Amino acid sequence: MHSSSDAAVMEAHWGGGAAPFGASWQKTMMWIFIVTDGLLFSGLLCGYAFLRHISPVPWPRQSEVFSIPFIALMTFILITSSMTMGTAVTAARLGDRPRAIRNLAFTVFGGLCFLGCQAYEWSHLIHEGARLTSNPWGPPQFAQTFFVLTGFHGSHVFSGLVILIITLIRTLMGKTPAQGVEMAGLYWHFVDLVWVFIFTLFYLL
Amino acid sequence: MSGATGNPYRIYRITWVILLIITVAMLAAEALHLPRIFLILFLLSFMMVKAAMIGGNFMHLRYERPSLALMVAGGILITSLILYSFLSREFGYISRHLSQ
Repeated sequence: MHSSSDAAVMEAHWGGGAAPFGASWQKTMMWIFIVTDGLLFSGLLCGYAFLRHISPVPWPRQSEVFSIPFIALMTFILITSSMTMGTAVTAARLGDRPRAIRNLAFTVFGGLCFLGCQAYEWSHLIHEGARLTSNPWGPPQFAQTFFVLTGFHGSHVFSGLVILIITLIRTLMGKTPAQGVEMAGLYWHFVDLVWVFIFTLFYLL
Repeated sequence: MSGATGNPYRIYRITWVILLIITVAMLAAEALHLPRIFLILFLLSFMMVKAAMIGGNFMHLRYERPSLALMVAGGILITSLILYSFLSREFGYISRHLSQ
């Protein structure tokens, strides 16, 4: 038996209706998209873990293949861009347009730096002999998972940048409402969130 | 979305600093060559803390309804566990049939 207060809580949280999550339809749809996209990365990371687990050849030590300080710099750039994005979202909500524009521009700059770093890392590893079918350090799955994971993430950073640039231009023109900046921000933070998992599971463990 | 008083941007700066400190701690743990089991536990714990901070503070999940937060965090976590367990089962099935 539920008490009436329990029932009220359940009704408030699970009651459905026009806004089951207490959010606008735009935000709800954005979150559903993020969950589905999160499942894509979850699948890729599970596949990576599994391939590594069953690999008959020892997995190479990442610090001997990658420059970990360089990867740390990429992480720093992405975390910083998330901070500026959060600031832009709040500024847009509070009607502080100059601050929102400034922080959106910083975020775009951070995203460009991150993509530049990733392009450098890819070209460096390819130059050293990393291919989808083989690599000089260990099992072929090592380079395969590297290219697939960072490639998928990089493509998300790229699409996030396109969204951010459009949002920035529209904000400069005064056409994007605060909610538009918030949606772009949610996607950008998601990209940062995925990197947290890739950084830990692929580069450090 | 705002539950804070005072400077509304402060939460982002604090979160940023904490995320950087955690990242440095993770890098130090990797460089120190801790025993493997400790390293795994340490890194996975901090990874989850970082994910929670980004989700909670940057994506404002802490200000949303619990149902939304549950859908996001629970959905992805549970599906990942199911997926990984299916991968393991599937691999056992395939390897048994290949060896026959």
